[in-house]
Amino acid sequence: MSELDDSNPFGYAPEIWRLFQRAPNAGSFADDVQGVVSAEAGTPAARSVLRLALRFDGDRVVDARFRAYGCPASIAVGAYIAGWAQGRNPQELSLLKAADLRAALEIPEDRAHCALLGEDALRAVLTRYKEQQA
Amino acid sequence: MIYLDYAATTPLDERVFEAMLPYLKPDGLHGNPASTHGPGFKARAAVEAARRQVASLIGADASEIIWTSGATESNNLAIKGALEFRGLPKAGKPAHIVTSKTEHKCVLDTCRHLETLGARVTYLKPDADGRVSPEAVMAAITPDTALVSLMWVNNEIGAVNDIERLAPSLRERGVMLHVDAAQAAGKLAIDLAAVPIDLLSLSAHKLYGPKGVGALFVRRKPRARLSPQMHGGGHEQGMRSGTLAPHQVVGMGAACALAAERFEADIAHWSGLRDALWTRLREVPGVLRNGPAEGTRAAPHLLNLSFPGVEGEALRASLGGIAVSSGSACSSATAEPSYVLRALGRDDETANASLRFSFGRKTTLAEIETVARTVIEQVAWLRELSPLPRTW
Repeated sequence: MSELDDSNPFGYAPEIWRLFQRAPNAGSFADDVQGVVSAEAGTPAARSVLRLALRFDGDRVVDARFRAYGCPASIAVGAYIAGWAQGRNPQELSLLKAADLRAALEIPEDRAHCALLGEDALRAVLTRYKEQQA
Repeated sequence: MIYLDYAATTPLDERVFEAMLPYLKPDGLHGNPASTHGPGFKARAAVEAARRQVASLIGADASEIIWTSGATESNNLAIKGALEFRGLPKAGKPAHIVTSKTEHKCVLDTCRHLETLGARVTYLKPDADGRVSPEAVMAAITPDTALVSLMWVNNEIGAVNDIERLAPSLRERGVMLHVDAAQAAGKLAIDLAAVPIDLLSLSAHKLYGPKGVGALFVRRKPRARLSPQMHGGGHEQGMRSGTLAPHQVVGMGAACALAAERFEADIAHWSGLRDALWTRLREVPGVLRNGPAEGTRAAPHLLNLSFPGVEGEALRASLGGIAVSSGSACSSATAEPSYVLRALGRDDETANASLRFSFGRKTTLAEIETVARTVIEQVAWLRELSPLPRTW
């Protein structure tokens, strides 16, 4: 982040602010990377879109990337899921709900939709994963 | 922190602060300006000196300056007071007001309130540069038009309405003109001896004076008549009751005197900073400048830009070390896209991804360079982060 951006004048929850500033795992995989399953949730009109890309080796996530258009909480949700997903299998991934994201990132009530965005994106990836496995 | 939100409010100038101090100290000049004794006379003298200073900045006579609590009150008093004096709105007696869609909320809400009482209001749409032309105003005038209320300088985009050309036309038609000049005073030359405006609102805290004080110019010849909106002891020629706050009005007077003294230097400084920032930020692919086109008449102290492809809240958060406004300070609290930018035809997403940079006397070119570099970096970073296709 920028040289001036060492404060949190808007008062975001610390974990949201940390993940927004550093955005770990931001980006996407190159086209020739094998085992990548990606999906998107949200709409530009709602000013939040999250694209999640998980790279599977067998039934385990070995790497993850995200891209997000939205408020800092949306971006933090993308970064959190991309980190959290690594090492987990589809069954474990399916357990992550919006409420867990809200608790982990201290997402306030008026930003609950950001957590739902994360759950939706993860669910969309899992649906696609199952389609590919079938 | 780099502060570039001087159009929202300015700090007190050191000289203004010094001028106010004697009226704030416990052992200082505490008299009520309405009292008829020594301390009262001293306070009265200070208030009247300040009145002359305010009048001098705008080419008015001191007797035409009414103290208020700020531009919001001045605008309320002007619009409601002018109509009420004429007994309007009243059943069977039509009252029509002409204003614009891009006025400050305190004008729009006052007009909406009068609509609930039966007035009819025409809200003119500005052109693509944010201006409402005198021709558009004159075309909206009807035999029932009691008042035109138009801002001189738009607070969000710096568009300058051609009040100098509009005012004589309205005078000829016998229609009263109120001008919100909160963003114009000290930013462009105002000579009410030459421009026939009837009512003009001012605010102190936009020009290095204190918050909580403003003024309304009420023309004496021909007399602009108002019904008071604050009733009481009949202060301010019966137009605005309430004990005056000498420290505040002295501050506003000092601020206006300073603005007059520094006028040329201020304008050269602000417009230089504005142009320098635009020169750097126009490098951002797809950036849109909101308001007057380059090279046309514009307020010197602000620059409003949209950055398509980034989400507004993330953009503001990524610039956490820079104090800028998204649209106007008033509309920021609601998190809704700016109605001014919407009126210019920007869509919701673009309006949301807009920043207003406004410059002050202590803003330096080095700060502008830091801000430009930071904005360029952060817009690029947020665009890189976005999964949306490139549309800019």
